Order: sequence, then structure tokens, then C-alpha cells
Amino acid sequence: MSYFFQLVVSGIVVGSIYALSALGFVLIYKSSRVLNIAHGQIIAAGAFITYALTVMVGIPIYLAFLMSMVITFFLAMSVERIFLRRLIGEPIISVIMVTIGLMSILDGLIYLTPFGTENFSFPAFLPVTPISLFGVSISWTQMVGVIVTFAMIGGFSWFFKKSTLGISMRAVSDDQLASMSIGISVPRVFGLAWAMAGLSAAAAGGIIGNITGINFDTLHAFGIIVFPVVILGGLDSILGAVVAGIIMGLIQQFASGYLDGSWGLNGTGEVMPYIILLVILLFKPHGLFGIHEIERV
Amino acid sequence: MSVNRWLATGNYFTSYKEEQRIFFTSLDRSAMGLLLLGLFLWPLFIQLDNKYMLVIDNILVAVVAVMGLNLVTGFAGLISIGHAAFVGVGAYTIASFARVMGENHILLTHAWPLMIVVAGCIGAIFGGIVGLPALRLKHLYLAIATLSFQMIFQWTINFMDFFNQGQTISVSRVTWVTGQVSRSQHYTFWYYAILGVIVLAGFAVRNLLRTRYGRCLVAVRDNDRAADAMGMHPGFTKVYAFALAGFLAGVAGALHAYLYRGVGVESFTLHHSISFLAMAIVGGLGTLHGSFLGPLAIKLLDLQVERLSEWVGNHLTIATNLATALKPLSFGLVIVLFLMFEPRGIANWWRIVRSYVKLWPFKY
Repeated sequence: MSYFFQLVVSGIVVGSIYALSALGFVLIYKSSRVLNIAHGQIIAAGAFITYALTVMVGIPIYLAFLMSMVITFFLAMSVERIFLRRLIGEPIISVIMVTIGLMSILDGLIYLTPFGTENFSFPAFLPVTPISLFGVSISWTQMVGVIVTFAMIGGFSWFFKKSTLGISMRAVSDDQLASMSIGISVPRVFGLAWAMAGLSAAAAGGIIGNITGINFDTLHAFGIIVFPVVILGGLDSILGAVVAGIIMGLIQQFASGYLDGSWGLNGTGEVMPYIILLVILLFKPHGLFGIHEIERV
Repeated sequence: MSVNRWLATGNYFTSYKEEQRIFFTSLDRSAMGLLLLGLFLWPLFIQLDNKYMLVIDNILVAVVAVMGLNLVTGFAGLISIGHAAFVGVGAYTIASFARVMGENHILLTHAWPLMIVVAGCIGAIFGGIVGLPALRLKHLYLAIATLSFQMIFQWTINFMDFFNQGQTISVSRVTWVTGQVSRSQHYTFWYYAILGVIVLAGFAVRNLLRTRYGRCLVAVRDNDRAADAMGMHPGFTKVYAFALAGFLAGVAGALHAYLYRGVGVESFTLHHSISFLAMAIVGGLGTLHGSFLGPLAIKLLDLQVERLSEWVGNHLTIATNLATALKPLSFGLVIVLFLMFEPRGIANWWRIVRSYVKLWPFKY
């Protein structure tokens, strides 16, 4: 039984990071209807910047974490400004393909740095001995990671519910023409959505980097696993992203905990989300919390 | 009024049938004939090194695959980020036969044209399955479905013992009427074989677009509601676009397997899917010319990038893995720049040059 609870705990840890990664993706989709295929690369960039600031420059890690969020905020904003601003009004298919190209560009740029191929790990700044409770253990990094994740998600929810900017972003996602007519600058909102997505991606990257170590493949995989999460949660729901992230984390941990090794299966945790994704697309395409206005063809 | 069969000064169509002709003038027809003749005959006069022959064969295999991608992304307007996986399905069909029946089984060595068709059909089945969500959903979701198919494919190959866990599964040389194809003739032989496939596939695609089924694809891309109102079934049309793309991808995969005499998962990764997309975009989405020009341009770019990184590697000591960095970088830049500045691709340049020559000395 304690094995089960151990899986639950690690599932929640992984899942909350998925939720944070998916959050940025949902932000961009919600405001501008763009699927950002390059999200994993932005997450990776956030982790690398955090690492570079802490280890190579020598800034304390909490400060470095915040700084990397700020840097990625402007990075994502400039990405939107340079590549996507001039595509506003183009068919959505070419905008998505631009993000595919962007993914390739960022891949190339990351491979130019040592981060592309080598592994790094953050210096330990929290107690190394894990917290143990009723036979279930959780490390301090994971604990702090989960807390930061939920704090960020809470912050974003507040931002969207209460602040003027957040409300104007929601307005744009609802109806672009109507929000233009009441004086909201739609391009600015798009830029802001990208910037916020970059910020949350950097936070996710920093946390993943602390938990699993810095490895481009792992970080990149977090960017792709975002798709099953957002499809399960419904593409444009922040609550959906959070719930689906945790569900996906649990499913992954259970799959690799119980299925691996039996019937000659291996690494089922990696593939299960994608199988679920295909099944959801077939039977419940708007996900758990997505709005039901998907156009049937 | 006598008609000049060689040069046209304008369009004088009096029926829809005339407008749908493949060759408008005899000039077009003979240029096409000459081009084909040249493509089939040049290896008789110029002996190229195996290394260069492999590059050419590689481009041709990519042409077959991109034709498929162009059907689904260009004509039907559905993004496929998993095209390399469909190509991989075709290649692994051949590999599975080699695995089950031994690589020298007569089906694989003698009946290889049949095997290529079988691989295509398996690819079509997988394409249809992945396209099934199209019955209910629009393209955004389909892009994600293809991406997840890519991930599932990679996992299946990497973790199954049957597929040698992604390590190379070898496929033997084939036999032709003249006996087993020798090592020195291998690449030239496959040049002809792939060229034959391309000619068949090219005419098939060109003719498909003249039929109601092909026009259905374009109609659904442009406005699926209008297409629905006119009695087409957009969902089935999309599924069938995916199946067709899967067929051509499967054929390309089988050709790849025979050409390299082996199948390994490293040729069918997400990175390859993106480079197929790059080829389709650079060539020109929704044009048949694009399927030829795109792979040519991207593969040549690829070679130049490799050369450049080798050259830099010789002069600077830091750059050990420059090629791995520069390749995705150049692909990405090419995709983004073409989408931003020339969304209609190289095929559009070809069209401009063509109409300039056709109308010379007049401007338009």
C-alpha cells in the first residue's frame, strides 16, 4: 500500500509541473488561438538561464530563478514581436507552422550552447534528506517545486480573475472584434500572453531542472507532454490544465509503476499520455473543461 | 481559325474539359517528355560516384514522401507533424517481413514491387486511423493527433524487441530480371526504381486533382462548411486525405528501407517530420511542382550546412557538434522565412519565371 501512496505522491509532484508547463501553452492558445509547438524549447531556455545565472554567474538561486523568469518574459515577448506579429490575420495553419519552425530554430540555438548535449545538475540548496511521512518519502526539492507551482497557478488565476490586464486578455480570447471596439490593443494582448507564457515556462523549467537535472531531452519532453495534458483538460481552460496535469502525472506514475516489467513492457509511462490523447480526441475532443464550441466538421 | 498547338497567347477555353487538360500546348508536352527522357537517360552517360548517387536517391525518396505530405497539408490543409512516422511505418513493414521470414525470403528479394505496395497499404491504414479524429474535429486537433502518433511510433520501435529496439534491421539486396543487383549497381538500380515510382505517383496525384475526389480535398481545405453544403463529407475527405498521404509515405518508407538495406529508428524521428514539413513549405504547399522542388532545395541546403560545419570544425576546435546545431537552425529559419515572405514557396518563383518566358516580350 505504501508503494501505491508513493506513486500517488510522485504523480502529484510530476503532475503539478505538467500543470505549470501546460499553463503557458493554454495562455497563448486562449488569447490568440495559436498552438505553440515551441513551448518545450522555451521551458528548456528558462532552465538553462536559471542554471547559467546560478552556477556560472554566481547569483543566489532564488534570485536567479526570478531573474530567469524576467528574462524569459522578454524573450517570449520578442519572439512574438519578431515572428508572430506580422502573421496576425494570416490563416492559423501558417501561424502554427511558424511555431514549428521556431521550435527548430530554438533547437539549433540550444545545440550551439553546451546545454544542448551535456548534462548539468543544480547545486543542492535545500536539505538533502527527504521528508518521510507514513512510509511515503518526498524530497525537499519536490516539495518546494510543488509549492512554487501552486503559488504560480494561484497567482495566474488571480491575475485573470481580478486585474484589468487579465480581464482584457480574457476579453480578447472571447471576441477579438468586440474587444478592439472597446479599446483593447489586441496585438499588445498577444504579446503579453506570450510573455506570461514565457514567464510560467521559465518557472517550470527552473523547477524541472532542480528536480531532474538539466538535460535538454528531458526538458524538451516536458514541452511535448503538454499536448496530452491540454487536450485532456480542454485546450483553453486553466483549471483544466491544472487538473489534467495532475491526472496525467498520476497516470504516468501508475503506468510505469504497475505496467513496466509485466508482459515485457518498458517505459509505458512515456507513451501512455499519447495513447490517452488519441483516445480522448476520438471520444471527448473538448476535454474535461474545454468549452464545447469546437466546430464539428 | 487555325490553332497554334505550340504556343498559346491566352486562354481560349470553351469547355471545362479543355481547362482541365494536363498539357495545354504541345510545347508543354514535349518539354515534359524531354525532361523524363533526360532523367532516365543521364546515368548511362555520366558515371557518378556511389556517394553522390546516394544523395540523389535520397532526394527522390524524399520527393515521394513529400508528395504525400503535400496531399494532406497542402491540398487538404491539415498539418501533419508525424509524417516521418508514417514513412517509418512503411519501412518497418519491410523490416517486419525481414524479421519474420528471414531477410532473404523470396517475397522480399523477388517480389519487392509487391512489398512496396504492401508497405504503402499498411501506411494508408495507419494514416486512416490517425486521421479518424478528423470525423469530429478541425485541423488544430489533428496536428496534435499526428504529433502523438509520432511519439507512439518512436516508443513502439524503441521498446519492442521485435523491432530490435530501434537498432538497424537489415534488408537484403533485391533481384531483378538480370539477377541479384550487385553492390556497384545498387544505387543506380534504385535510382531507376524510385524514379519509376515518382513518375507513377506524380501522374496519379496530378490526375487525382482533376477528379471530384481531388477537388473535394481542395474544397474542404478552403471552406469546409461550403463543401458540406455542396454535398461533400468533410470528415471522410480528411480521413481519406490522411490515408492517401499514409500510402505515399509508406511507399517512401519501403523505398528507404531497400535503398539503405536496413531500417533504424533514427531515420524517422520528430526532427525528420519537421524537415519533411520544411520541404513541403519551401517547395510550395498545394502544388505538385513544390513536391519536387522542396526536397531538392532542402537536401541541398542540408549538404551545404554539413559542409560548412565541417569546414568550421576544421578551423575552430570548439565546434564539435556544429552540424547538429546548424541543421535544425537552418531548417527552422527556412520554414519561418518562407512562411513570412514567400508563403507560396519556390513553386511560385517557378510560376513567375514560366509566365515571364511564356509572355515575353510582353509584360502581362
